[in-house]
Amino acid sequence: MSTAFEEIDLHALASMPLEQVDSLPFGVVGLDAASMVVVYNEAEARMAGLDRDSVIGVPFFDAVAQCMNNFMVAQRFEDEVELDEIVPYVLTLRMRPTRARLRLLASPGAPLNYILIER
Amino acid sequence: MAEDLQRDNEQLLEFLYACPVGLVEFDATGTIMMINPHAMKHLLPVAGMRDPGNLFAMLEGCAPELRNLFVDYPKDRGPICEGHRIAVDMATGRNGKDPKVLACTLVKLGPNRAMATFADITVQVAQERRLKQSETWFGSLINAVNDYAVLSITANGTIDGANAAFTRQSGRAVEDVTGMPLDRILDVATGFGAMTLEDQLRLAQRDGWYLDESWQTRSTGERYWCQRLFAVRPAHDEQQPHGYFVVLRDVARDRSDTSDLRRMLLFDHLTGAANRTHFLQLFEREQRRWREDRQPLSLILLDVDHFKSVNDAHGHPTGDVVLKQLAQICSATLRPSDLFARLGGEEFAALLPDTPLNQAIAMADRLRAAVEAMVVATAAGPLRITASFGCATATEACGTVDGLIGLADVQLYAAKHAGRNRVYGRASHAASA
Repeated sequence: MSTAFEEIDLHALASMPLEQVDSLPFGVVGLDAASMVVVYNEAEARMAGLDRDSVIGVPFFDAVAQCMNNFMVAQRFEDEVELDEIVPYVLTLRMRPTRARLRLLASPGAPLNYILIER
Repeated sequence: MAEDLQRDNEQLLEFLYACPVGLVEFDATGTIMMINPHAMKHLLPVAGMRDPGNLFAMLEGCAPELRNLFVDYPKDRGPICEGHRIAVDMATGRNGKDPKVLACTLVKLGPNRAMATFADITVQVAQERRLKQSETWFGSLINAVNDYAVLSITANGTIDGANAAFTRQSGRAVEDVTGMPLDRILDVATGFGAMTLEDQLRLAQRDGWYLDESWQTRSTGERYWCQRLFAVRPAHDEQQPHGYFVVLRDVARDRSDTSDLRRMLLFDHLTGAANRTHFLQLFEREQRRWREDRQPLSLILLDVDHFKSVNDAHGHPTGDVVLKQLAQICSATLRPSDLFARLGGEEFAALLPDTPLNQAIAMADRLRAAVEAMVVATAAGPLRITASFGCATATEACGTVDGLIGLADVQLYAAKHAGRNRVYGRASHAASA
């Protein structure tokens, strides 16, 4: 089973042990139905310059990633139940514009929605 | 100590990540040095394919004036603009919401360093509009009636009564005006967006009231600025069938002040063409008029061909001269009742009331020829440009502001695709080059 950014499957991600999620080379953010952060992996914490403990449990699109709080990302999760799409994006990691690719994942059967972030 | 610093750093980052106002630090070329997530949230969706690392580039589509305001600011430091409004959406916003408006404040911190803030003021702008409408209405009712000339007119606009204040204001005796059509007494506004008396009465009938203002002339020939309110006069009995009250107010206007302010609010800083906000307001008004009386309404979109290479080869100042000259030529070619506006970067629009598609296409071709004939003097010698045009007209199937812009945009794209310097219109698909 591939764990590459473009190929990894939402269900594989959901059943993966947290240590393994941490070992992935790209950012992984798992959100519950209310967009609270449930999973925030090591790569993402390092790139964003944030402590994982301060991010878990906060509303992602309001407190951590407002840059995605528009129709291009956050609205997609509200409008679509089934989602697997890669979008080119520009993040503001440590307040610097940073080009990235986002992979948006959602499925009616899965407990969490995921955003994968590749710089 | 190092741990304290690390913790401080994280808290600062958290603070900036969560900040509910957009913050951007940039240099004189617009290159972004720092930007917080809230700013990117608003800017990336308007950036399109333009460079997301440059503030001016991202805003080129909906607020090209920011670069000009920055460049024209004469000092090394100081406030460039405060709460400058940026109309992000054309007409209604996504999903039928109020059109999105951002407020932008620019402060220059040094010759090569500036900061911008962005805040979403969509809700406030919508509230303001509603508040302004009701304030004007109630304000007119509450103020002493003596200050107001009041006329009474029948459903078809014939004057059947007037008060003494009307004589004081207009210089005309009550008995001289009774029985006359109202538009013989009041000037019907000329120029773009003017509505006939009939239109105005129809709106009053629909909404219960209609408010407008324009220059009027007293019997002495003196002109004065007149606000007027039409209110429906309900029919009480057979003796007095329904009609309208017309309240006229003589308003003192400090012309120099208001005209400067008006110019800043309504017209593009660089080219003097109507700005996006003004264009949308008048477009919506014309569109409402079209929906009610079905006079044809056409739109021309115009985009300068290869404008980026003009900027790249000759620099932005030359690019600015090209846009200014183009705006002058187009405004001079259009009729007084047409509206010429800058929508973004090198994209312009002309709105043509009472004009069917074939006439709009003919006008677009005159504009195209005028632009092609234009010569811009540059340090490197004379420069010539061309532009592509897309035309559309309001139809039953597609009569909304968004729809009409979309239609014209498709035609513009087709004109570009077919080789540029040509006019495309929806019905004919005939190209002329």
